[in-house]
Amino acid sequence: MAIRKDANTLTAAERAEFVAAILALKAEGVYDQFVLRHANAIMNAIHRCPAFLPWHRRFIFDLERELQRVSGNPNLGIPYWNWPSGGSTASMWNDDLLGGNGDASGVVRTGPFRAGQWSIINASGVSSGPLMREFGQNGFSNLPTQTEINQVIAVTPYDRSPWDMNSNPSFRNQVEGWTGPNLHNRGHVWVGGSMLPMTSPNDPVFFMHHSMVDKIWHEWQLRFPTQGYLPATGGPFGQNLTDLMNNTPSGPVGSRPIDVLDSVALGIVYDDATPQPQPQPTVLIVGAAPTQADIATAGEVDVFRFDVPAFGAHTMATAGPSDTFMTLFGPNDANLEVASDDDAGENFNSQITRTLSAGTYYLRIRLFSPNATGNYAIAVRADGANPNPIPELTLDGVSINATLSAANESDVYRFTVTAEDTYTIETSGATDTVMSLHGPNSQIPEIGSDDDGGDSFNARIRRPLSPGEYFARVRHYSPIGIGAYSIRIIRGN
Amino acid sequence: MAQHTETFAGCTITIKDNTGLTINGKEIDYQYDPIKDKYSSKYLPYTLYDSLLELARAIAKHTVEFSHIDE
Repeated sequence: MAIRKDANTLTAAERAEFVAAILALKAEGVYDQFVLRHANAIMNAIHRCPAFLPWHRRFIFDLERELQRVSGNPNLGIPYWNWPSGGSTASMWNDDLLGGNGDASGVVRTGPFRAGQWSIINASGVSSGPLMREFGQNGFSNLPTQTEINQVIAVTPYDRSPWDMNSNPSFRNQVEGWTGPNLHNRGHVWVGGSMLPMTSPNDPVFFMHHSMVDKIWHEWQLRFPTQGYLPATGGPFGQNLTDLMNNTPSGPVGSRPIDVLDSVALGIVYDDATPQPQPQPTVLIVGAAPTQADIATAGEVDVFRFDVPAFGAHTMATAGPSDTFMTLFGPNDANLEVASDDDAGENFNSQITRTLSAGTYYLRIRLFSPNATGNYAIAVRADGANPNPIPELTLDGVSINATLSAANESDVYRFTVTAEDTYTIETSGATDTVMSLHGPNSQIPEIGSDDDGGDSFNARIRRPLSPGEYFARVRHYSPIGIGAYSIRIIRGN
Repeated sequence: MAQHTETFAGCTITIKDNTGLTINGKEIDYQYDPIKDKYSSKYLPYTLYDSLLELARAIAKHTVEFSHIDE
């Protein structure tokens, strides 16, 4: 088990142990192998991409194992650089741990990694002079604050297309620093010198920096246990959940993102990792007056929840001076994306009109520009008489032929049971359908669901039903899947 | 054909037609992001630059491949 502590809280003995272990790995040549592993990875395969976090989790985990080996301490963990309290006067920069800032030329002349005691290498492994640091001299004079960290930890999902530095909203992209307040990149640039290029592991603070990055990811995972790594599939090679990551050797832990998602399983313990409660969405009432809202800090995402009592067309819209972007999720799943929109409303406002089945839905609102702030109002309305009444299934009648023609679409059917008996509702055709059954006399309570209980990939629900009106909802197994199918209901065994 | 050549941090930077970048004669791969309108390179993976020349100067100054300070 590796116990990772705030670097500024280490005891003198812990500092000495960590420094001695780093120096021992350097003497063995093992430390420089880590520098080369990072320096010779494909930049866009380990940065600016979904694998950024799992790649570096595995990377520092491997160094940690080496530190434990040479120290003989199986609990030795890489301390984390707690940025909010880790500025240039913090004790982690004292001579008994990392040493301090560089001199006027940027050369580090204090601490165990000073010139004459520690040399850096280039990407070919050639010794290239002393360690360099230039605190706050390369465009960032301040380190990330706790408020900024808290803001990033509230962002979901983990990542999204185009899976690069323009992904938004994306927790990974905000942690890395290409959108939002800039956490990881800022740390590298703030230190400057040897922390700027791909050979940045030359400076041991690299590992403390990424221990902090990993801690933030760990806390995000605790906070959003239902938000998984993305993309599961369909992303660039090397970025999907079960792809091998670039320049990651085989070892006791696998080389895929899926192999390193669970810090606890890896034996990593942070001294103060406490999950913050998930933000509770603001509740919107369908048909009520608009609710005022505010994106007070750049990159912030507001979450709203509303209930749809019955199938019908609904419009969700923002109003006001801000250029909003809206994403709709549901029903009954805050992570199942239904639709998104940028400017369908008036004056750069977002608006979605959609026929919704009964259930709970979620709206996430952000501003189109990740660097902007601004206020807006949001409302949900039911669009009057439903132009598409719910089609009725006839007991033992002919099948209804239908098509799921758009991503995330779901169809709703109703039928009336007049006598208690066993009934079978099933789909047929070449489309992989999923069906849920709701009732009696309400579209809300789900009393059954099925994926592949029918022929091939069709859905089938068979169960006794008491008299009343019931509703069957059919969607594609894949959120992006479309296709034709038929549905029918049969009474009796 | 437009060409800019300068010496910066002891390195010779050459930019041809505002696209081809060499430092000390070595061709430098870089990326231009049209959405952010910024330049970046594998040599400096944590920073975006407003221009190719700004990127070239940073590479010359900060990367161990081109910048060497004796102890």
